[in-house]
Amino acid sequence: MKHFLTVFRYELKTQLLKKAGIVAMVVMMVLALAGTSLPRIIALFDTDKQAAVEETAPETAAKIAYVFPDEATKALLAPVTGPMPLVMDLREDLVKALQEGSIEVGFVVTADLGYEAIYQDRSMYDTRDSDFAAALSRLKKEQLILSHGLTTAEFNAIENTQIKGATTVLGKNSGTTYWLSFILMLMVYMIVLLYGATVSSIIAREKDSRTMEILITSTRPSALILGKVAAAGVAAIIQFGMVVLTAYIGFQINKSTYPEMIVMMVSGTLTTSYLLTFLFFSFFGFILYLFLYAALGSTVSKMEDLGSATGLVQFLFIFGYIMASIAAQTPNSSLAVVSSIIPFSAIMVMPMRAGVITVPWGQLLPAGVLMLVFVAFFAYLSIKIYRWGSLNYGNKTKLSRIVREALRREGR
Amino acid sequence: MKLQVQDIKKSFGEKEILHGISFEVVSGRAMGFLGRNGAGKSTTIRCLMDVFRQDSGQFLLDGQVFKPWEKRIGYLPEERGMYQKNDVLGQLTYFAMLRGANKADALKTAHYWIDYFGLGDYKKKKLETLSKGNQQKIQIAQAFLNEPDILVLDEPFSGLDPVNAQVFKDTIANFVKEGKLVIFSSHQMSYVEEVCDDVTLIHEGHILLTGDLKQIKRQEGQDKLQLSLAEGSLEALKQQLAAAFAKVDITLVNNSLILDTQGTNLQAQLMAWLAKEEVKLRSFGLYEPSLTDIFIQKVGEHA
Repeated sequence: MKHFLTVFRYELKTQLLKKAGIVAMVVMMVLALAGTSLPRIIALFDTDKQAAVEETAPETAAKIAYVFPDEATKALLAPVTGPMPLVMDLREDLVKALQEGSIEVGFVVTADLGYEAIYQDRSMYDTRDSDFAAALSRLKKEQLILSHGLTTAEFNAIENTQIKGATTVLGKNSGTTYWLSFILMLMVYMIVLLYGATVSSIIAREKDSRTMEILITSTRPSALILGKVAAAGVAAIIQFGMVVLTAYIGFQINKSTYPEMIVMMVSGTLTTSYLLTFLFFSFFGFILYLFLYAALGSTVSKMEDLGSATGLVQFLFIFGYIMASIAAQTPNSSLAVVSSIIPFSAIMVMPMRAGVITVPWGQLLPAGVLMLVFVAFFAYLSIKIYRWGSLNYGNKTKLSRIVREALRREGR
Repeated sequence: MKLQVQDIKKSFGEKEILHGISFEVVSGRAMGFLGRNGAGKSTTIRCLMDVFRQDSGQFLLDGQVFKPWEKRIGYLPEERGMYQKNDVLGQLTYFAMLRGANKADALKTAHYWIDYFGLGDYKKKKLETLSKGNQQKIQIAQAFLNEPDILVLDEPFSGLDPVNAQVFKDTIANFVKEGKLVIFSSHQMSYVEEVCDDVTLIHEGHILLTGDLKQIKRQEGQDKLQLSLAEGSLEALKQQLAAAFAKVDITLVNNSLILDTQGTNLQAQLMAWLAKEEVKLRSFGLYEPSLTDIFIQKVGEHA
């Protein structure tokens, strides 16, 4: 225990003081703060844009010209075109004005309130033709309502008749919980890949630089592996904890500017049962992967071989990610249920399922127990493989043989 | 303390590297473990340190099975490595703590050995920023942390310049004086000859000789005389002697002749012959072979 703490403290200090890690953490904290402040920032720009639109409205209006079939239609369309529209006699005049650049868009209106919109060049975001169409449609609808002897107010009252009804969701409403669960899954994905790679490279570097021989003759391999994995785990919690805390602070500060739907989404997802499920499976799944990465880091003799050695575990993890994406759509499918029990995929699938549905205890308990058993077994195996790795340099060995030889060795 | 290496065998795959080697090391006497590259020195030391597990045989310390992790041992592996990107003081303190020291003692011993090797200015520097020679000193310093009772050093002199080698020799000598058990492997005979009281010679996984160095030298020099000339040709003298003493084996080595009387007690007759022939001698006496001579001879016999 004493040596475990020595290794843990040393590795944790080394990881937390790494400049690259500090910079990455600060960047992520800034991004988290910026991300959660986005609604406020957008609102600021929207106000400006609205003001700008209001200011430039007359100018824009001046760049539109109309050709009417008669004075009656012109008068009828006054609410749409404004009281003093730029009117031309013929379509050809309008085309000429467009080609000369004196107007930007022209509308040729027909007697039955049809129209032709003519542009010289049309930008991607120009909606003046569709706006005009909507206004004409509204006008025509009002004419029809009047022709049936109704006023517009009467018609609106009929159209907006409300049905009294309520929806009660006893479990989870995946419509509101899906997105936050998905974001948290992505965070777990990043943490595992980032810190898994860190652990495997620390061990591979120790082996590459032959520091391992000094370590292995100084203390027990169990203290070394457990200390390193625990340090990586705590470093991840501290560093990502800071990012999550920043995001939480950002959310609280900017909460008033968020659409109600998003506030509901967050509060609807972050229930105690979900948080407990998320924390349990993400944490132990993370530790499980750290042991896998540590074991594979011990099998290489040179740093450049590390990528290919850890390929298998990355494949396993990406499989879990795909399963979690499937589980988000079909959380009760057999595939989702099975993959939420297998520890390698349960790390992401179970929290995802718990986010969108209420997972029965009959599935949660076996998955939890299996996760703990796997963590214990792979901790033991990674210690054995680490010890095996300290003796083996040079030739590449098949993983199955490594496991066999590692488990066969007796003693420390 | 007495460390006994008993009938150690070790194979890698189908190839047996150590063929049942045995020797002893006692505290207060430095043991030089000699052999050519690939003779099995590092494998023996790694088995001793439990880096490898031997296939058969055992290591005993004072009659009990030797468990290196239960003893205060300073170990310098042949292939030295430390954390390049970490600071010197921090990692030496860490190693001392891993070997059982508390934080205060670990810091104290780390400071002491860094200062001892004259690297006090580099305590807070990353190892990779030190010169190669200074990095070697730090690597050696880690073996001396925590006042070990047993020192196991694999090729400690390799790569050291003469000044650093002298500092290191003095350090080992101090440990021996304090009654510590010291074993180190080397193929650099001169260092072993200067530092060691006992030697063990390993060749292709077999022990060729082991014991007190002085006694070995006497034994290997038995019945042999050595002469060098103040004037004249050694080659001509060799031919004259060969003609006069058919039973004496004569070898020309480094400007001198080695006369092996092979138990024939011809020493007096040889002296008389040299006097009669008025050979101008620079030196004449009992031959004491150097460790290099013994090494070459023994390895040659088994080549």
